[in-house]
Amino acid sequence: MTRSPVKVLYIDDEENNLLAFKASFRRQYEIYTANSAAEGLKVLENLPVEVIIADQKMPETTGVEFFKSISVSYPDPIRILLTGYTDIAALADAINHGDIYRYITKPWNDLELHNSIKNAHDAYKSKIDLRNKIKELEKTNDELNRFIYSISHELRAPLVSVIGIVNLVKMEGLYHSSGEYWELIESCSNKLDYYIQKTLQYYKNNKNVSDLSEINFKKLVDEIIDLYSYTDRDTKFNLNINQPGSFIGDSFRIEVILGNLISNAIKYQKDSEHQKVVDIHIDVSPYKVDISITDNGLGILNEHLEKIFTQFFKTKNNKGSGLGLFIVKEALNKIDGKISVRSSLNQGTTFKITIPNGN
Amino acid sequence: MLIDDNIIDLKINNKIILISKLFDDIIQFQSGEDALNYFSDHANEPDKMPHLILLDIQMPEMDGFEFLENYKRFSPQLKDSCLVAMLSSTLDFGDIHKAEANPYVIKLLKKPLIPSELEIIFNANFKIID
Repeated sequence: MTRSPVKVLYIDDEENNLLAFKASFRRQYEIYTANSAAEGLKVLENLPVEVIIADQKMPETTGVEFFKSISVSYPDPIRILLTGYTDIAALADAINHGDIYRYITKPWNDLELHNSIKNAHDAYKSKIDLRNKIKELEKTNDELNRFIYSISHELRAPLVSVIGIVNLVKMEGLYHSSGEYWELIESCSNKLDYYIQKTLQYYKNNKNVSDLSEINFKKLVDEIIDLYSYTDRDTKFNLNINQPGSFIGDSFRIEVILGNLISNAIKYQKDSEHQKVVDIHIDVSPYKVDISITDNGLGILNEHLEKIFTQFFKTKNNKGSGLGLFIVKEALNKIDGKISVRSSLNQGTTFKITIPNGN
Repeated sequence: MLIDDNIIDLKINNKIILISKLFDDIIQFQSGEDALNYFSDHANEPDKMPHLILLDIQMPEMDGFEFLENYKRFSPQLKDSCLVAMLSSTLDFGDIHKAEANPYVIKLLKKPLIPSELEIIFNANFKIID
């Protein structure tokens, strides 16, 4: 494959320079010339120029002014400034605002200019390559996310049918008709469903977009309790929610965080406990929200406290997936939140979180 | 009326509603189009109109929301005596919010359908009619 020659635009008000440039470089490059900034812009509008060389000292628009003027509309071409005198002010200005790649004094040395154009073109290529790579990567990442997302939904639909059938079996009084088989099917289905839900949460949390919206903690907590307490109607919830003003935050992640913590509080109760209680305190201020969730459940062993937020950490006798708290921690990381935990075995656990208010 | 592309879910939900004994007749459709045709065909027969539609969200071709867009066009008399609840296994917040925001949808039910949820809807909306 032969590479098409590098497209170079040279802008200079002195016709002789344009001619000399053409004469020296026409064999190596595809050269376009213009005798003013306005003419140069016309060339840019019509052609994907890769390297621009501009004389600094031109009537009307100087080289630096020209580069500044195209920095937004044509950010890609690499810029080289030519100037016959050393004007420190112009140079500083050029470097600060014009995004100049090289500065070359006039009269130019053919070899030096040639090398500069060559290097400029390499810079141009890597810039474009990098951008394409990023685009490609974003696309693949996006596809992967969407794939996980839709496959999780697709997997879940038939699973939910299975759970529905098990419910029917219960309703028709057949649950104990085949020993413990139905019970086993139910427990496996629920476990699978739990993993699918956590996978979905994990992948949604991994996406970097955050959807900021106003959050009403009372409403949110009520919904979450409603959602998770159907598995256990015995637990009493004491809510103390103090939200005098608005709170702006990432509703999906906050929902995931509270959902996991509240469902854990319900799940890790003591079977022997007759008064299962979960206390939820929420204090919203203009700067942050403080949330604490306390249960009187099983508690966590001291030596486990540091590990509970790591992926796939499970204890021997619990029914968890090792994902819930890991996801909580990941989600908090994405929204600059903090979490701390205090627990004593068989007394209960308190999780405290702080999330900045995006007001 | 049940609208769901998944025949197994139709069977399951049909059975659950039967067991709940809350409703007398159940009409099932495997697509939104079929259900819309039923409405057009029986527009003048009020006794053939359902009191409650349980509508799946994810269906090929016409999904639950598209069904509602078409359902909107039916006469107010028909819609007044017929409630719509969506029934889905979705966990997509987009879908959930969209369902809650739709004026025709009284509730988004999650699969698997639980008789007590059905009863709540029944008690809230049909008790007085009886």
